[in-house]
Amino acid sequence: MRDAVLFAHIILGAALAVLSIIILLEMKKRKSSILRPLSVLTAGLSWSVLVPAGILYINFYPATKTLIKAGAWPWAHSIFMETKEHWGLLLPVIATVAAGMVLTGKIQESRKWWLLLIAVTILIGVMGRVVKLGAFA
Amino acid sequence: MKRKFNFYLGAAASACLLAILVIVAELAAPFKTLLQTLFGHHWIGKAVIVALVFVAAGFLVKEKKPHEKLAWYSAVGSMAVIFLFYVIEFLV
Repeated sequence: MRDAVLFAHIILGAALAVLSIIILLEMKKRKSSILRPLSVLTAGLSWSVLVPAGILYINFYPATKTLIKAGAWPWAHSIFMETKEHWGLLLPVIATVAAGMVLTGKIQESRKWWLLLIAVTILIGVMGRVVKLGAFA
Repeated sequence: MKRKFNFYLGAAASACLLAILVIVAELAAPFKTLLQTLFGHHWIGKAVIVALVFVAAGFLVKEKKPHEKLAWYSAVGSMAVIFLFYVIEFLV
Protein backbone atom coordinates (compact mmCIF):
# COMPACT_ATOMS: atom_id res chain seq x y z
CA MET A 1 0.00 0.00 0.00
CA ARG A 2 2.70 2.47 1.08
CA ASP A 3 4.86 1.83 -1.99
CA ALA A 4 1.94 2.18 -4.41
CA VAL A 5 0.95 5.52 -2.87
CA LEU A 6 4.57 6.68 -2.80
CA PHE A 7 5.04 5.83 -6.49
CA ALA A 8 1.77 7.60 -7.35
CA HIS A 9 2.95 10.65 -5.42
CA ILE A 10 6.33 10.75 -7.18
CA ILE A 11 4.94 9.99 -10.66
CA LEU A 12 2.14 12.58 -10.41
CA GLY A 13 4.58 15.16 -9.03
CA ALA A 14 7.11 14.51 -11.79
CA ALA A 15 4.30 14.62 -14.37
CA LEU A 16 3.45 18.16 -13.24
CA ALA A 17 6.97 19.35 -14.09
CA VAL A 18 7.18 17.37 -17.36
CA LEU A 19 3.75 18.51 -18.57
CA SER A 20 4.59 22.12 -17.70
CA ILE A 21 7.77 21.87 -19.78
CA ILE A 22 5.79 20.41 -22.69
CA ILE A 23 3.27 23.27 -22.34
CA LEU A 24 6.10 25.83 -22.48
CA LEU A 25 7.47 24.14 -25.61
CA GLU A 26 4.01 24.08 -27.20
CA MET A 27 3.78 27.83 -26.63
CA LYS A 28 6.69 28.32 -29.00
CA LYS A 29 4.62 26.87 -31.84
CA ARG A 30 2.48 29.15 -33.95
CA LYS A 31 -0.58 27.09 -33.27
CA SER A 32 -0.97 24.20 -30.87
CA SER A 33 -4.01 21.97 -30.65
CA ILE A 34 -2.88 20.31 -27.42
CA LEU A 35 -2.03 23.42 -25.37
CA ARG A 36 -5.49 23.85 -23.87
CA PRO A 37 -6.18 20.18 -23.06
CA LEU A 38 -2.65 19.78 -21.65
CA SER A 39 -3.16 22.82 -19.43
CA VAL A 40 -6.47 21.49 -18.11
CA LEU A 41 -4.92 18.05 -17.56
CA THR A 42 -1.98 19.56 -15.64
CA ALA A 43 -4.30 21.61 -13.43
CA GLY A 44 -6.41 18.50 -12.76
CA LEU A 45 -3.30 16.45 -11.93
CA SER A 46 -2.09 19.14 -9.56
CA TRP A 47 -5.25 18.74 -7.46
CA SER A 48 -5.07 14.93 -7.62
CA VAL A 49 -1.47 14.93 -6.26
CA LEU A 50 -2.94 16.03 -2.92
CA VAL A 51 -4.54 12.59 -2.45
CA PRO A 52 -1.36 10.44 -2.33
CA ALA A 53 0.46 13.32 -0.59
CA GLY A 54 -2.16 13.37 2.16
CA ILE A 55 -2.21 9.58 2.56
CA LEU A 56 1.59 9.45 2.89
CA TYR A 57 1.81 12.45 5.20
CA ILE A 58 -0.97 11.41 7.54
CA ASN A 59 -0.54 7.63 7.65
CA PHE A 60 3.12 6.91 7.01
CA TYR A 61 5.14 10.04 7.75
CA PRO A 62 4.73 10.16 11.58
CA ALA A 63 7.18 7.24 12.03
CA THR A 64 9.74 8.92 9.73
CA LYS A 65 9.23 12.20 11.59
CA THR A 66 10.10 10.53 14.90
CA LEU A 67 13.33 9.18 13.37
CA ILE A 68 14.29 12.55 11.88
CA LYS A 69 13.59 14.52 15.05
CA ALA A 70 15.74 12.07 17.06
CA GLY A 71 18.57 12.12 14.51
CA ALA A 72 21.32 14.54 13.51
CA TRP A 73 19.16 16.48 11.04
CA PRO A 74 16.08 17.61 12.99
CA TRP A 75 15.87 20.64 10.67
CA ALA A 76 15.05 18.25 7.82
CA HIS A 77 11.59 17.95 9.36
CA SER A 78 11.27 21.29 11.15
CA ILE A 79 12.18 23.36 8.10
CA PHE A 80 12.03 21.27 4.93
CA MET A 81 9.12 18.92 5.60
CA GLU A 82 7.01 21.65 7.18
CA THR A 83 7.71 23.94 4.20
CA LYS A 84 7.18 21.15 1.64
CA GLU A 85 3.84 20.02 3.05
CA HIS A 86 2.48 23.56 2.88
CA TRP A 87 4.01 24.66 -0.43
CA GLY A 88 2.34 21.58 -1.88
CA LEU A 89 -1.05 23.09 -1.08
CA LEU A 90 -0.25 26.00 -3.41
CA LEU A 91 0.71 23.82 -6.39
CA PRO A 92 -2.93 23.31 -7.49
CA VAL A 93 -3.60 27.03 -7.10
CA ILE A 94 -0.58 27.93 -9.26
CA ALA A 95 -1.43 25.29 -11.89
CA THR A 96 -5.08 26.35 -12.03
CA VAL A 97 -4.15 30.01 -12.51
CA ALA A 98 -1.72 29.02 -15.29
CA ALA A 99 -4.35 26.84 -16.98
CA GLY A 100 -6.98 29.56 -16.55
CA MET A 101 -4.72 32.06 -18.29
CA VAL A 102 -4.22 29.66 -21.22
CA LEU A 103 -7.98 29.08 -21.46
CA THR A 104 -8.68 32.82 -21.46
CA GLY A 105 -6.13 33.52 -24.20
CA LYS A 106 -3.36 34.97 -22.01
CA ILE A 107 -0.97 32.34 -23.26
CA GLN A 108 2.31 34.25 -23.21
CA GLU A 109 1.45 35.85 -19.86
CA SER A 110 0.95 32.37 -18.39
CA ARG A 111 4.59 31.46 -19.05
CA LYS A 112 5.88 32.69 -15.67
CA TRP A 113 3.16 30.72 -13.85
CA TRP A 114 4.20 27.50 -15.61
CA LEU A 115 7.83 28.31 -14.77
CA LEU A 116 6.83 28.89 -11.13
CA LEU A 117 5.00 25.54 -11.14
CA ILE A 118 8.13 23.78 -12.46
CA ALA A 119 10.41 25.54 -9.94
CA VAL A 120 8.17 24.81 -6.94
CA THR A 121 7.62 21.19 -8.01
CA ILE A 122 11.38 20.62 -8.33
CA LEU A 123 12.08 22.35 -5.00
CA ILE A 124 9.43 20.19 -3.30
CA GLY A 125 11.07 17.10 -4.83
CA VAL A 126 14.50 18.18 -3.57
CA MET A 127 13.08 18.90 -0.10
CA GLY A 128 11.46 15.45 -0.12
CA ARG A 129 14.86 13.91 -0.80
CA VAL A 130 16.46 15.91 2.04
CA VAL A 131 13.69 14.75 4.39
CA LYS A 132 14.29 11.13 3.37
CA LEU A 133 18.05 11.51 3.95
CA GLY A 134 17.27 13.09 7.32
CA ALA A 135 15.72 9.84 8.50
CA PHE A 136 19.11 8.12 8.12
CA ALA A 137 21.32 10.92 9.44
CA MET B 1 -25.96 36.47 -15.88
CA LYS B 2 -22.99 34.14 -16.09
CA ARG B 3 -20.32 35.02 -13.56
CA LYS B 4 -16.69 34.61 -14.61
CA PHE B 5 -14.20 32.88 -12.35
CA ASN B 6 -11.49 35.30 -11.21
CA PHE B 7 -8.42 33.04 -10.97
CA TYR B 8 -6.21 35.85 -9.73
CA LEU B 9 -8.33 36.90 -6.75
CA GLY B 10 -8.91 33.26 -5.84
CA ALA B 11 -5.16 32.61 -5.91
CA ALA B 12 -4.30 35.79 -4.00
CA ALA B 13 -6.86 35.10 -1.26
CA SER B 14 -5.96 31.43 -0.84
CA ALA B 15 -2.18 32.05 -0.89
CA CYS B 16 -2.37 34.80 1.75
CA LEU B 17 -4.73 32.73 3.86
CA LEU B 18 -2.42 29.71 3.73
CA ALA B 19 0.49 31.70 5.18
CA ILE B 20 -1.82 33.02 7.94
CA LEU B 21 -3.18 29.53 8.69
CA VAL B 22 0.35 28.09 8.91
CA ILE B 23 1.58 30.75 11.32
CA VAL B 24 -1.53 30.83 13.51
CA ALA B 25 -1.68 27.02 13.72
CA GLU B 26 1.97 26.86 14.83
CA LEU B 27 1.72 29.69 17.35
CA ALA B 28 -1.74 28.92 18.76
CA ALA B 29 -2.06 25.27 19.72
CA PRO B 30 -5.86 25.48 20.28
CA PHE B 31 -6.32 26.56 16.65
CA LYS B 32 -4.29 23.59 15.39
CA THR B 33 -6.35 21.32 17.65
CA LEU B 34 -9.54 22.86 16.25
CA LEU B 35 -8.39 22.08 12.69
CA GLN B 36 -7.60 18.51 13.77
CA THR B 37 -10.99 18.13 15.44
CA LEU B 38 -12.94 19.52 12.51
CA PHE B 39 -11.05 17.84 9.66
CA GLY B 40 -9.27 14.86 11.23
CA HIS B 41 -5.83 16.41 10.59
CA HIS B 42 -4.56 20.00 10.54
CA TRP B 43 -3.09 19.52 7.03
CA ILE B 44 -6.44 18.37 5.65
CA GLY B 45 -8.06 21.36 7.34
CA LYS B 46 -5.65 23.76 5.65
CA ALA B 47 -6.07 22.00 2.28
CA VAL B 48 -9.87 22.17 2.44
CA ILE B 49 -9.91 25.82 3.58
CA VAL B 50 -7.40 26.89 0.90
CA ALA B 51 -9.38 25.09 -1.83
CA LEU B 52 -12.71 26.52 -0.65
CA VAL B 53 -11.34 30.06 -0.41
CA PHE B 54 -9.76 29.74 -3.87
CA VAL B 55 -13.13 28.79 -5.37
CA ALA B 56 -15.22 31.17 -3.24
CA ALA B 57 -13.01 34.24 -3.78
CA GLY B 58 -12.74 33.41 -7.48
CA PHE B 59 -16.50 33.24 -7.91
CA LEU B 60 -17.84 35.66 -5.34
CA VAL B 61 -15.56 38.69 -5.38
CA LYS B 62 -16.95 41.16 -7.89
CA GLU B 63 -13.91 42.64 -9.54
CA LYS B 64 -13.30 42.96 -13.23
CA LYS B 65 -9.64 44.03 -13.00
CA PRO B 66 -7.24 41.15 -13.74
CA HIS B 67 -5.03 41.51 -10.57
CA GLU B 68 -2.46 39.14 -12.03
CA LYS B 69 0.38 40.89 -10.19
CA LEU B 70 -1.49 40.61 -6.89
CA ALA B 71 -1.89 36.86 -7.44
CA TRP B 72 1.76 36.47 -8.40
CA TYR B 73 3.15 38.34 -5.40
CA SER B 74 0.69 36.62 -3.06
CA ALA B 75 1.74 33.15 -4.23
CA VAL B 76 5.48 33.84 -4.19
CA GLY B 77 5.23 35.90 -0.99
CA SER B 78 3.20 33.22 0.79
CA MET B 79 5.82 30.58 -0.02
CA ALA B 80 8.65 32.85 1.14
CA VAL B 81 6.83 33.67 4.39
CA ILE B 82 6.13 29.98 5.10
CA PHE B 83 9.77 28.99 4.52
CA LEU B 84 11.15 31.88 6.59
CA PHE B 85 8.67 31.21 9.38
CA TYR B 86 9.85 27.62 9.75
CA VAL B 87 13.53 28.67 9.58
CA ILE B 88 12.97 31.25 12.33
CA GLU B 89 10.84 28.86 14.40
CA PHE B 90 13.60 26.25 14.24
CA LEU B 91 16.38 28.69 15.12
CA VAL B 92 14.63 30.59 17.91
